[in-house]
Amino acid sequence: MVHSLVGGRYAHAAITAALMLGSSTVAYADAGIDYPHDLVTLVTHSSAGGGGDVFLRDMIGPLSEIMGVEFVVENVVGGSGGAAIAYMAEAPADGSVIYASNPTYIFTSFLSDLDPNYTDLDPIVNVFYDPQVIFARADAPYETLEDAVSAAQEEDMVWAAGAAGALGRMAMEQLKQETGVDAAILTGEGGGETILSVLNGTADIAVGEVLELRSQLEAEEVKLLAVLTQERLAENPDLPTARELGIDVVVEKYRGLAGPAGLPDDVIAAWESAIQQLLEHPEYREMYTAASLEPAYLSNEEFRPFIDDFAASTEDFMISVGIIQE
Amino acid sequence: MDAILVALDVLTTPTIIVVVIIGVTWGIFGGAMPGISPPIAMALLLPFTYTMDPASALILLTATYIAAEYGGSIPAILIRTPGTSAAAATLIEGYEMQRRGKGGEALGIALVASVIGAVFGLLLVIFLTEPLSRVALAFRPPAYFALGILGLSVIASLSEKSLLKGIIAALIGLMIATIGTDPVSGVVRFAFGYPELLSGVPFVLVMVGLFAVSELFEQLSIPVWEKISATRTKLKLPTWAIQKGLFRANMIGVGIGSFCGLMPGAGGTVSSFLAYNESKRFARDKASFGNGAPEGVAAPESANNCDASVSMIPLLSFGIPASTSAAVLLGGFLIHGLAPGPALFGRNPDLLYSLFTGMLMACIALPFIAFATLKLCVLLVNQPKPYLISFILVLVFSGSYSINNSIFDMSIVLGAGVLGFGMRYFGVPVLPTVLGLVLGYLIEANYRRSLVISRGDHAIFFTDPIAAAFLTIAAVFMVLSIVQAVRQHRKANNRGMPS
Repeated sequence: MVHSLVGGRYAHAAITAALMLGSSTVAYADAGIDYPHDLVTLVTHSSAGGGGDVFLRDMIGPLSEIMGVEFVVENVVGGSGGAAIAYMAEAPADGSVIYASNPTYIFTSFLSDLDPNYTDLDPIVNVFYDPQVIFARADAPYETLEDAVSAAQEEDMVWAAGAAGALGRMAMEQLKQETGVDAAILTGEGGGETILSVLNGTADIAVGEVLELRSQLEAEEVKLLAVLTQERLAENPDLPTARELGIDVVVEKYRGLAGPAGLPDDVIAAWESAIQQLLEHPEYREMYTAASLEPAYLSNEEFRPFIDDFAASTEDFMISVGIIQE
Repeated sequence: MDAILVALDVLTTPTIIVVVIIGVTWGIFGGAMPGISPPIAMALLLPFTYTMDPASALILLTATYIAAEYGGSIPAILIRTPGTSAAAATLIEGYEMQRRGKGGEALGIALVASVIGAVFGLLLVIFLTEPLSRVALAFRPPAYFALGILGLSVIASLSEKSLLKGIIAALIGLMIATIGTDPVSGVVRFAFGYPELLSGVPFVLVMVGLFAVSELFEQLSIPVWEKISATRTKLKLPTWAIQKGLFRANMIGVGIGSFCGLMPGAGGTVSSFLAYNESKRFARDKASFGNGAPEGVAAPESANNCDASVSMIPLLSFGIPASTSAAVLLGGFLIHGLAPGPALFGRNPDLLYSLFTGMLMACIALPFIAFATLKLCVLLVNQPKPYLISFILVLVFSGSYSINNSIFDMSIVLGAGVLGFGMRYFGVPVLPTVLGLVLGYLIEANYRRSLVISRGDHAIFFTDPIAAAFLTIAAVFMVLSIVQAVRQHRKANNRGMPS
């Protein structure tokens, strides 16, 4: 792909893949809940080894223990998620085909005139957040996000934000709006390039994901200023959220499940119960902690409005920066 | 001393030897298949590495990486189909050699050049990781922009007869490069609602169409099969005398490969095209280019293999993958709980020594395994043309379909094939188009990023020392090639006049 030479998204996917596929579980059937199907197809728009693929493949071991169901993962790649959405819209709405959803398919729905689009899929539950953090070079003259913002009010700053049409950019644009500073927002190919631009001084601060930054953090080349979640991270309780600092920017890169519109209630209830048990599964917990994923279970009742809000703020962001027209 | 002991230990471990052989063999085949790029070949192996010890796992992945960069040149030379997008530069002269019955020599030259590039790059990784990692940091957006311009400055010499047609061809390439998401604003351009085009037109599909499919059309348009040359291809390693003559091209290749490998965003395709350009610029016999110049095979193959080795440097020193292949390799490290980056050298020196030894073994194994597998490839291309043409068409379309299971991708290949055939018909060279395509995004994205940083001030291209140097060199080359073109034009005119 032309624009993913550095493989920002790919790189992250590979890292997640590596961390999470690490252990394997022996599946045994324990019919705790009666699910209407013995075999369930889990669909992802990532290719093998990509973020969504690993998310699914990791859960199927413990999940078949919990649900007493066999799972197969199907990679419906292509068109930045467009192919998978089209596939899901055609699939039977009976719980036999489930989709691993993350912000990609909402972004793609807005970026190209997809038909069907994200509104043709029903959210089921959310499972994780990939926390987005603001970081700077270790020797930068500011210790908190507040310091950085007040510095930006004094002088011209460059803020790096990953790819131009992606979640990191959305975070930085919101930060800029919220604080009213006039920072230049530098977009690139993705994670690796963003980190280099901070290390070589091209950018003053940047947004990224903890997992991508791990080796730089260990070597104390970069420091974290704030995290853009609702609450502080369990793994890093000293890191303040932007909201605590009085900057109301919350960007949640979620990883959840969705299905064709009109899923029966018992299927949704089965997934609600199974995902809650899954997040408590000790072996699974070990895997996702290593991958810096924050467990963020949202019931169907909570997840539906969450997706609506997410889509609305995505649309607002895209219109406000001129990516799409109203 | 430690390092030598570790190396000896690795060299005598049977499992490592097996891993090297598997990695190299798989890499050659993966690279040679038009649908499987080096990162995909590596990603397919990832699941098998979980149960291996860390050294074997990483050696398997790097051996695959090195061999796949070479493997791409096999179909490029034999059937004008680049197996990887980095091999498209090798195809230019390599396929010309094949047409002239020297395909076997071209394969030999590509093989030797690949090994030289890989070994040279590896030596840089082993001895100079620390200082070279600073070079990676020195490149900022204006420098990337200038590098792209330097690459484009060669258009005049790729234009064959007419500079105007060359420029038109380059513009077509630059225009194709603007399809997809705008690098700075995020606006989607020229995608016409197709989500497949959000991340741009994949290079390799356009190249396969422009080179391979248009060539097949051309051959099909010749009515009598017997007229197409029926020379048999025999594999032949270059003699010492020939190899000595290629030294300069190899050095150009490794030079360019080693600094492009350091920079995220440049990558193997850019480095092999730049290497092709520079080997042509500095060739003793410029006229041989376009007619199967061995230098044109040696330089890009040295470059893309050297690039592959050197891209380990930003990975090992910062934990930052400079290419998609390096990103998959990073995955391989993390599986085993190793975070590449500043701390790795201090913490796991033994692992690094064994990794380096394993990579060196892969470079040594490459020629032997390649030689064995090439016999089979050569056998395939010696079949009668009608069989061959249908076989290649099937291979090209199934390969391009297999990347994303997408009919859309097949239509890109077909569209590019028709475009390429049309361009040939009107005598418009396709090379500048490919160059414009490869460099267009690099140039545009970094031009605009530079202006974001400087808030619209173009002075940034002159205050950044690397950018200023590259732009100056590019300007000198452009002026020289215009002067040369004018002179040739005058000479031709004078000769035409009756005396």
